[in-house]
Amino acid sequence: MGKSAQPALLQGTLDLLILHALQRGAMHGYAIAQTIHLLSDEVLKVEEGSLYPALWRLELDGAITSKSGLSENNRKAKYYQITRRGRKLVAEQEATWSRLSAAVARVLGG
Amino acid sequence: MVRRFFLKLFRRGGMYQDMQAELAFHREMAARHDNAIPLGNTAAIGEHGYDLWRFTFFENLWRDLVYAARGLRRSPVLVLTALLSLGLGIGVNAAMFSLGVEFLFSEPSVRDAGSLVSVQLGGNSNSPPKAGDFLRSSGLFADVTGEDEEAITNFNNGAETRPIFSVYTAKNYFTALGIPMLHGRGILADDPDEVAVLSYAFWRKQLGGDPAAVGRSVNLNGRWCTVVGILPEHHRGLIGFGYSPDVFLPRYLDSTMLAIYARLKPGMSVPAARAGLAAVAHRMDAEMPAQYKYADEIRVSPIAGFARLKSEPEMLAVGVFFAMLLAVTGLVLLIACVNVTSLLLARASARRREIAVRLALGASRGRLFEQLLAESLLLAVLGASVGLALAEVTAVLLARIHLPLPIPIRLQIEPDWRLAAYAAVLTTVAALACGLLPAWQSMKQSLTHDMHRERKMRLRRTLVAAQIATSVIVLTTGFLFLRNLLDSTAISPGFDVLHTVRANVNMPPVGYADARKKSEYINQVVDSLAALPGIASAAAARVVPFNGGERFRVGILFADNRERRDVFFFWNGVTPGYFRTMGIPLLEGRTFSAADRGEKVVIVNRAFVAQYLGSRQPLGTVFLWGGDGKTPYRIIGVAEGTKTLTIGEEPQPQLYEPLAQIVNDRPGIEFVMRSAIPPALQLDAVRRTLHRIEPMAGAQVDTMYSSIGLAFLPSQVGALLMGSTGVLGLLLASIGLYGVMAYSVARRTREIGVRIAIGASRGAIARMVLRDATRVTIAGTAAGLLVALFVTKPLAVFLVPGLKPADPLNFAVVALAMLLTGLAATWGPIRRAINIDPNATLRDE
Repeated sequence: MGKSAQPALLQGTLDLLILHALQRGAMHGYAIAQTIHLLSDEVLKVEEGSLYPALWRLELDGAITSKSGLSENNRKAKYYQITRRGRKLVAEQEATWSRLSAAVARVLGG
Repeated sequence: MVRRFFLKLFRRGGMYQDMQAELAFHREMAARHDNAIPLGNTAAIGEHGYDLWRFTFFENLWRDLVYAARGLRRSPVLVLTALLSLGLGIGVNAAMFSLGVEFLFSEPSVRDAGSLVSVQLGGNSNSPPKAGDFLRSSGLFADVTGEDEEAITNFNNGAETRPIFSVYTAKNYFTALGIPMLHGRGILADDPDEVAVLSYAFWRKQLGGDPAAVGRSVNLNGRWCTVVGILPEHHRGLIGFGYSPDVFLPRYLDSTMLAIYARLKPGMSVPAARAGLAAVAHRMDAEMPAQYKYADEIRVSPIAGFARLKSEPEMLAVGVFFAMLLAVTGLVLLIACVNVTSLLLARASARRREIAVRLALGASRGRLFEQLLAESLLLAVLGASVGLALAEVTAVLLARIHLPLPIPIRLQIEPDWRLAAYAAVLTTVAALACGLLPAWQSMKQSLTHDMHRERKMRLRRTLVAAQIATSVIVLTTGFLFLRNLLDSTAISPGFDVLHTVRANVNMPPVGYADARKKSEYINQVVDSLAALPGIASAAAARVVPFNGGERFRVGILFADNRERRDVFFFWNGVTPGYFRTMGIPLLEGRTFSAADRGEKVVIVNRAFVAQYLGSRQPLGTVFLWGGDGKTPYRIIGVAEGTKTLTIGEEPQPQLYEPLAQIVNDRPGIEFVMRSAIPPALQLDAVRRTLHRIEPMAGAQVDTMYSSIGLAFLPSQVGALLMGSTGVLGLLLASIGLYGVMAYSVARRTREIGVRIAIGASRGAIARMVLRDATRVTIAGTAAGLLVALFVTKPLAVFLVPGLKPADPLNFAVVALAMLLTGLAATWGPIRRAINIDPNATLRDE
């Protein structure tokens, strides 16, 4: 935190990133964090302290479901999967997000 | 939301372990991939996740309540004082609320009260039965029925005849309204005339509550009527206000006028009914002309709920009174809450250390705040239970007391959902009012480490001053109503109530149908009563003031210049001795005499002269009036006015006719007597005389003073309710003042000990404590009086003429009462202060 190279995530963006990552298929928590990390060209680093509470909350909200499965190294792990409701949420939030980021870019650019 | 609830409910098991396992897996993967192992507090993350899956609010609340209960158990004095204060405060509010709801919103015991309307034709409350029949056959309404709810029937129980309150009904009354019965059935359309339905109270009192009473006969008006049914105990009549007549029987005289009630057809609105009624009334006027036009001034008004309030202006006044009463009792609750606040404030300072430790251990301020509020919530809930129990006991006691009224009034007060909702609101308000300030204080002081105790004492003093100010407002209102009562008793009603006896007699229909027979009977009774020893004079009248008036709104034509005037007056038919007997002064002219034959004569009162006669010399003025509007009437006297309906009213125009001059078609007649000895001693002789002349006539004999008690009732009830509320407020405020002074002395024990040790006299110590208390009391009283000056202004509507809300005497008495109460509340703390033993105090250090 506080380091300029690692921008803090905006409130609410983490949910969007998680749901977006899960659109590629079911994953466990660590894989989600890695996916976000890689997709963002290693700019965004998701801390476990914010990732897991966000996952649990999304699950309660019904945007994702979980089931246990075996990981690549044959360990029991909890796999998360996006629901129909989650996909709808992503679509909505992506639209909002692109409007917002475009607006921010215009302000900064102008 | 629902989904979430069930998810939480069913998937909570092993939640915490699962979460920890997930986090452990994450770390393991991070280590394997050579990523930095996150430096988080896994326990904290787990807690966070766990919170998501809990019913946080309820679980916290429950824990807080348990904790609060444990804490409060250790302070029984606090709990007792708080429960007493809140119990009284919430109890008085609940009781007044139920009373108000019963008065204003009670629904009559009928099927679907919302679709029932009362119908008035030609501006008259009652109409001839044939008008009701016409309306029914017109098909405008789903059903039409009628009742004469103010009828009197003579009931003979074998030993004596008494007039009882009864309702004459149309035959379809019970079926059209759908009135539930306790035993038997209602009156049916094909019943003979000789049937009756009894009220629960009458059945219990006269027939011993025997279910087999159905089928027996009772003697009413000299006719044997078969009892067909008994009404349930909690029957509410159509006119409300708890009026509970004793019997219902079918109307059997053609002259009985009925108040019309109709049931709207499904989907029919009141305005639509009014429009339809206008058309029907015009047809009535064309087909069966009467003395007045049915279509003039027609009214259709709902009989239940808010709609009724809006349509009846007198209901509005009652509503305003109860709104004000609730406001005043609300203030009493506020006073009670301040008491509890004050106690909790003292407790908060004692718990300062505990709260500091909790904050240091990482409790969030929000959670601590919730926890502190839980305490006041618990107190408020317990207080509300005590209050509701108190209100219930009071209601039961009140129901047992037989109200000393000439009219049978039974209020059916039962707790219902409205009371429950109101109590819940009160409890929440009380919990917040008691708890917010102490909770906020204890949070604040735990942060600003060593808070100035002086400042906190100042806060409590301010609270008590506010409390005293509030009690001053409550007390001023209560006292105003008390004064109102005293003043209204002192106001002269315009006739002698102290030396007169009144007998309300109902002639039996059998043998008295003829008007001449009625007159003979009346004259015989007047002569016999006047001959009784100790009776100075006797007279008969159709109406005695305060027992309903006969209002006339008619057009008269002055004979001198053919000027036409619409006049409104209270009418009465009297025998010549009426004015002397009642002590009503004649200002001009003479009273009636037996020689007044041929020409019609009247006596009018001063207000009539002033309002209608203009510059005419009243004596000898002739105007045309009467059923045809062409009969000349000559004014032969002017009397001083009397009050007619309420004691506080302005003088109304009155007109008297000799009884001998009118066609007497009514069985009811009033006899008045002036007694030279205390009138109560005459009652038996009067009763015996009446019984001797006609044993079948029902007679209610009473002193005038007790028989017109009803006129004083509104101000009596008002004074009683407001007065007791005021005293309750005063009591609660003095508890508050006592608490603060006692606490202040306890806190200053050491200081006072030192003062005594270095030579302060007991008197000086007492003065010091007293000065403290007096300052708070005076500040509170002054503020309260200032506010009371403004808030009591609207009360003027309820007061007798001459009494102003801003009465200096009123304020002086209230201020004095407040100061005396302050002194009394300080007495204990002063004694404790001067008895402090300096040695013991210093050794304690």
